[in-house]
Amino acid sequence: MRRPIVVLGLGNPLMADDGIGVELVERLAQEAGRYPAVDIIDAGTGGMSVLHMIEGRRKAILIDSAHMGETPGTIRRFTPEEVRSAKILAHQSLHEADLLRVLTLAEQLGQAPETMVIFGIQPQVVEPRQGVSGILLDRVDHYLTEIRSELERSAG
Amino acid sequence: MAKTVNINVHHVTRVEGHGNIVVNATNGKVEKVQWQVPEAPRFFEAMVRGRSYEDIQTIVSRICGICSITHSLASTKAVENALGIKVSEQADKVRILMHYSEQLQSHVLHVGYLVSPDLFGLPSVVPLAAKAPEVVMAVIRLHRLANEWSDLIAGRTTHPVTLTPGGLTKFPTEKELRGLQERLKNAVPDLKAVAEAVLSAASAIPNFTRETEYISLKQDNPPTYTFYHGDITSTDYDGAVSIHDWQSVANEYMNDQSTAKWTKWHRDSYTVGALARFNNNAELLSPLANDVAKMLGLAKGCCNPFMNSVAQIVECVHVVETSIGMIDELLTAGIKPENVKVSPKAGKASGCVEAPRGILFHQYEFDRKGNCVGADICIPTNQNHAAIQQDFEKFVPEILDEGEDAVRLKLEMLVRSYDPCISCSTHMLNVEFVR
Repeated sequence: MRRPIVVLGLGNPLMADDGIGVELVERLAQEAGRYPAVDIIDAGTGGMSVLHMIEGRRKAILIDSAHMGETPGTIRRFTPEEVRSAKILAHQSLHEADLLRVLTLAEQLGQAPETMVIFGIQPQVVEPRQGVSGILLDRVDHYLTEIRSELERSAG
Repeated sequence: MAKTVNINVHHVTRVEGHGNIVVNATNGKVEKVQWQVPEAPRFFEAMVRGRSYEDIQTIVSRICGICSITHSLASTKAVENALGIKVSEQADKVRILMHYSEQLQSHVLHVGYLVSPDLFGLPSVVPLAAKAPEVVMAVIRLHRLANEWSDLIAGRTTHPVTLTPGGLTKFPTEKELRGLQERLKNAVPDLKAVAEAVLSAASAIPNFTRETEYISLKQDNPPTYTFYHGDITSTDYDGAVSIHDWQSVANEYMNDQSTAKWTKWHRDSYTVGALARFNNNAELLSPLANDVAKMLGLAKGCCNPFMNSVAQIVECVHVVETSIGMIDELLTAGIKPENVKVSPKAGKASGCVEAPRGILFHQYEFDRKGNCVGADICIPTNQNHAAIQQDFEKFVPEILDEGEDAVRLKLEMLVRSYDPCISCSTHMLNVEFVR
């Protein structure tokens, strides 16, 4: 049974700070009992599959590393309407994903949740390496506090 | 008409990989045509060194977010071959079911989201959803089914967690298998709808052919349109080569225009993927898949690389129809619990399966404690680079008169038709705030 709210952690844990979304949902999953209305999912680099994970939900909260022009470690909460993708797509392979385009497609097909919120975290380093960098790791509690308060707001 | 064309399609590389397309032609004379892959190496073969045989699958699964089941199966088979581990018939069948889910998932994504906009003359699937919503919805339903099929058997959609050397950590229940079978039967109309949509737009498929060597797995005992067992064969070779001798087939070499390795066997290039499997095994397709191949005009011996996407649709039908029968076999035998015990030992061996985009080779060596001391992985996309280059060389002079935009689009379509897997290592958001 699908729960009305979904939290997706996106990224690749083998690419340093790109894995922050996955790192955060792994930690959040340890307290899943506190959120009976929430599915917490490690969405990896799922690309188009995000479409299926958000379908039929009231709210989707997406956590991902994001180039936002901020200082490394900064977390920002935004909605898809508040940003424009600066990604250039080659359309050569399926290995290309633009989360914002997936969310647009979901809206166009009438399968998007009423509310979609993205937490973007500015990476310090993205390269083949396991584990996120210290500057992000030091702020994990702060990130989790932000996400928890979003979840508490969502419950109402 | 003499044409001057300068195409230099350079994409953001390194982080999210792509290839570059370079064409220089002056007054109708082609001076340079290149398919370049400037992707940075990712060192997975080094990452697994020193890791236990139990960890290999989890790590190499992350090579790809589309074909993670395939990398998992190739590596697990290699580990089992190296350590002399046998797998039960039941586990073997369930793994093939798992593998089929990924074939459907990947092919539906490729044809539905990446190729169909070309056929309908649109830049992406977003406007296609407005123009032909019923087709896009059929694609999405099939993709969703494939994902949930993976969830059921592999434990999750991407990066499977139920595989283990010797078998599986969890089997689906008979009730779950019956439910899946019902859904597969119900998916047949959507598969037909996608095939009919492609047929309606078939005139947009470029009419281009180049004599090509096609390489894939081939399984004689029992004769099967195989993705999982068998030996290596080719349209240029009547026999079969053991998967353990794959290096003598791939003959990997370095090339100045690419950081990826290239391969060749009997000719200067060969092609792998759905069309290669079809050309080597077409007579073994399921009945409905055979009908769809006929409907779409796909016949054995086809050397039009653009028809790879059509072969993918045929394979979608094949895996669904075959899985319906395999579930019957599993249910008749009944699902039995298995308790796998494995002990490490020294050994070196390969594992080979067909990824959606072509034949995939993994090889590992382990010390007596079961720690990896060496790895060699050869992915299908690298096996197609030389063929893409040779296609470019033949295709560009044929279409040069159509002008720069048409040449660019057709070369991009050609690259897409190979369904390349250049890299999917990161998918970070990159945004500008507008509010």
